[in-house]
Amino acid sequence: MSMFRAKKLDLGSFVNVKVIRDHTKRKVFAENEPERQALRYIIRNLALPQRTRVQAQLQLAQMHCYTRPTQIRNRCIEGGKGRGVLRDFKMTRYNFRLNALAGKLPGVKKASW
Amino acid sequence: MASSTPIRLPWRLLTRAVGAAHPLIPSTHYIRTQQPISFQRPAISRNYSEATPPPEVENATPPSQPPQTLTENTPVSEGPPGPPRLPRAVQAVYLRPLRRQAEYGVPSCDLQLRSYSVRNLEFFCDFALRAAYYLGLPASGPVPLPRITERWTVPRASFVYKKSQENFERRTVRRLIQIKDGNPETVELWLAFLQKHAYYGIGMKANVFEFAKVGVGKNMDTEMEKMKDIVGKTWDRVGVATTVGTKLTAEEIIERVNTQNFRAATHGNAPLSKLPGSISR
Repeated sequence: MSMFRAKKLDLGSFVNVKVIRDHTKRKVFAENEPERQALRYIIRNLALPQRTRVQAQLQLAQMHCYTRPTQIRNRCIEGGKGRGVLRDFKMTRYNFRLNALAGKLPGVKKASW
Repeated sequence: MASSTPIRLPWRLLTRAVGAAHPLIPSTHYIRTQQPISFQRPAISRNYSEATPPPEVENATPPSQPPQTLTENTPVSEGPPGPPRLPRAVQAVYLRPLRRQAEYGVPSCDLQLRSYSVRNLEFFCDFALRAAYYLGLPASGPVPLPRITERWTVPRASFVYKKSQENFERRTVRRLIQIKDGNPETVELWLAFLQKHAYYGIGMKANVFEFAKVGVGKNMDTEMEKMKDIVGKTWDRVGVATTVGTKLTAEEIIERVNTQNFRAATHGNAPLSKLPGSISR
């Protein structure tokens, strides 16, 4: 969504439409997290009046989908791929292998046991 | 026997050699033994060989003069004449790090060192132990903690061909150094020193224990009562450097917190800390 996107490129890694989109989603989620949590708290709080809780429910449902944490997906910093990304290195398996064999990842060696 | 030991030998060999000579002496106190290990100084010869033409200055000295060494300049005070030893502090560098005895054995700091290479880790542990000794801290360790082995298996190819895979691993080695009976300020100093001289590829994590008298909560309550006036004044202007007397409203504070400079100061310049809507000042 263009209204959330940064006007200037604020990424240093591999850049791709999908990478920018994911990055924007992360930023929007971080910005709106307190509000989401507050609404979630109101919805789950049995001590509050029913009307308030329903209103909170509606408000939460009407929030933009970019504010949801489920929209965030880890992407490869080297190639922007969304699948097979190793969490430890933020890289796809093949990029991980290339970097590991080149010795660019500290401490990672070929294993044999 | 030990007098013929060359200067370049590592401490392991030295201690082994001396330990064989004096089996009764505990291994940690070689420096204090009555027969210290003496080191031969490198004899610096002023005589040039015949192959190289001697310079003008050297022509004045007769060629029959024996090689002049540094030992001639240093007077030998007592004992049989032999090669002089290095200063004790320099000798200690070649030996196992010295330790202080803990009187009570109350732990005051646990320092965990982590690295991917044992060599660097051992070296830095040695350094940390020496630093602790010279600061007067009784240190124990390094205790080798269990290694952390992480393994990844990935296909060799960029696409499909799952049958052919490759294994990678990363082994993290850990060491624990415990300081006992340490003065909290000295421990802080030690940690700061280690941080200042941090070695490459070594991570450090310290758990510092503080001890207080029984009734900490009550003491804190009384302190709070005493500080109420001062704290109240301070909290009126919390985190904002303004002149005394001016008060910021909540909106102003929120606005200020959301400025880009403030966020950069508190959360660093990470991409997430820069909000698109934030005002740059």
